[in-house]
Amino acid sequence: MNEPGDIVISVKDLSIGYGDRVILEKVNFQVSRGEIFVILGESGCGKSTLMKTMIGLNPPQSGDVWIEGGNLTAAEGDERLRLLRKFGVMYQSGALFGSMTVLENVRLPLDEFADLQDPLKELVALSKLKLVGMAAAANKMPSELSGGMQKRAAIARAMVMDPGILFLDEPSAGLDPITSAGIDLLVSGLARHFGITFVIVSHELASIYAVADRVIMVDCAARGIIARGKPAELRDGATDPWVHRFFNREADPGHLVQPT
Amino acid sequence: METPPTCPQTECEIDVQFGQDGIARVALRGRLSMRTVADCWDKLETKLHGAKVKELEVDVRGVGFCGGAGYALLRYLNMGRMTPGAKVSVVGLAAGFQTIFEGFTARDYDAFHPRPQTSSHPLVEEAGHATRQLIVDMRDQLDFLGIVAANLPPSLVNPKRMRWPEVRHIFVLAGANAVPIVSLVSLLLGFIIAFESAQRLADFGAQIYVANTITVVMVREMGPLMTAILLAGRSASAFAAEIGTMKVNEELNALETLGLSPVRFLVIPRIVAGVLVAPLLACYSILMGVVGGALVMLGLGFSLMLILHQMAMSVQLGDLAVGIEKSVVFGIIVSGVGCWRGLQTQQGPSAVGLSTTRAVVTSLLLIILADAFFSTISYFFKQ
Repeated sequence: MNEPGDIVISVKDLSIGYGDRVILEKVNFQVSRGEIFVILGESGCGKSTLMKTMIGLNPPQSGDVWIEGGNLTAAEGDERLRLLRKFGVMYQSGALFGSMTVLENVRLPLDEFADLQDPLKELVALSKLKLVGMAAAANKMPSELSGGMQKRAAIARAMVMDPGILFLDEPSAGLDPITSAGIDLLVSGLARHFGITFVIVSHELASIYAVADRVIMVDCAARGIIARGKPAELRDGATDPWVHRFFNREADPGHLVQPT
Repeated sequence: METPPTCPQTECEIDVQFGQDGIARVALRGRLSMRTVADCWDKLETKLHGAKVKELEVDVRGVGFCGGAGYALLRYLNMGRMTPGAKVSVVGLAAGFQTIFEGFTARDYDAFHPRPQTSSHPLVEEAGHATRQLIVDMRDQLDFLGIVAANLPPSLVNPKRMRWPEVRHIFVLAGANAVPIVSLVSLLLGFIIAFESAQRLADFGAQIYVANTITVVMVREMGPLMTAILLAGRSASAFAAEIGTMKVNEELNALETLGLSPVRFLVIPRIVAGVLVAPLLACYSILMGVVGGALVMLGLGFSLMLILHQMAMSVQLGDLAVGIEKSVVFGIIVSGVGCWRGLQTQQGPSAVGLSTTRAVVTSLLLIILADAFFSTISYFFKQ
């Protein structure tokens, strides 16, 4: 069950959208254990919506998401709760609970679900905070932290129950390069040492080249995946001009009015 | 320490050996997961409690899986919390995990001090704090009044400076959308007042004066007051929440840097709409209250002509003027306080909720103070 390389997430014929509007149609892909999988694409093309569907927040129009062999889309009650415990999620804004300190935020799942002694809970939460470099801010309120610090604390909260899969929505957006590189190291370290699978929604090319094992690129016009593979291969070998521009960070000449 | 485990192990086994000269050896085997660690802890506590240990060696070579809780247990042991004063070493960690394990030190743990619980202050200190807050609040209110007063005339004189579409939008939200609730409340209020007074007046054979009571009460007092209370609940809260959210989202800062005054841009349209909407709703409320009273009187057997005649005799135009004057003032209070509390919003997730509560409470307080003031003045003027 825990063999590295086996499939942990399987997205089958997934169509998502709002109301009559279809954003992505019949999308298929799989993520293996220990893999760092990045979803990318132009802003507003359903990357975050795809992730929300994968974590069961957004019911799809059709299709299923399987997590560790269980169908999350169809699961209800205890089975759904069991599947939800398999992964942790870091939301784009951090989504820390504003009325609790950082440590209380990280401790919350332990208090609710784990049968541990108090000092142990505190130590677990503190060591997760230490992993993301936030142990010194354990007693601060989220409103006292910068955006990047909130994100790091949110990663600590997502991993506090030792989930096998972590979903990160824009982990390095708005962070300084040093912190951003620190998060890259954390991600690759966790994947290598603990076999944690990562699904990351990101724009940051530098960070994608540094950590991603495999990427998929979604597109509005095609309503689906227009590229998939290793990031370096797509950078050097993409035939689609749009994909080529994206991976080489080139502007679209017809896209913007350029001051001359 | 690697995942996957070498053999299926569901429980954690502990072996504690006490050697000579206070040297103890703890061997851990099996899984150190969220589920097993609590049990491990209890076993270790019982075995190590009270033992005089100078040196403790924790051997984890037999551990198949170690999760976050497992690490926490090892750290707790390593910091000597279970064996005070002993020198502790953890052996058998795989190389990669050793660095992660050592990344968190006893210093990190010691640097952490739980946030002190807010202790209760002595009464005098609380009273002093509240008084100072009240003075600050009043000064702030006066400031706000000054800014509004400075911004209002230019906006009124120069129609281009006034955002009439916004005024219209707020007028619809605060006025037209409030009609159903105002209708219901006023109609039932008319019912209640009529029934209550009918019982008492019947003792004197003076039930016909129910018409007088209901008209005077609705026109001079209850119509404007009920409208103001409903406006405070519906609109003062909405203004405070809307402007408060804008403040939290830095939209107010954006307005400032674009050279637009938030007061002119957001507050003035709301106050103008409030001043226009309150008297209209109050008149409507008076009408509905009187209709409610009239329905009760019809039920008591009086003829419609008699009721209307009695009602018309009981009030003069001056009474209606008092009612409308009041509602204009209430309108200013409700929209002004709503906006003011919204602008005062601090940062943080509960800030908007706090401003909304304050907006409603302050509006109600000022409404009732203004009403008392009106009643006192009109009493002395009559004399």
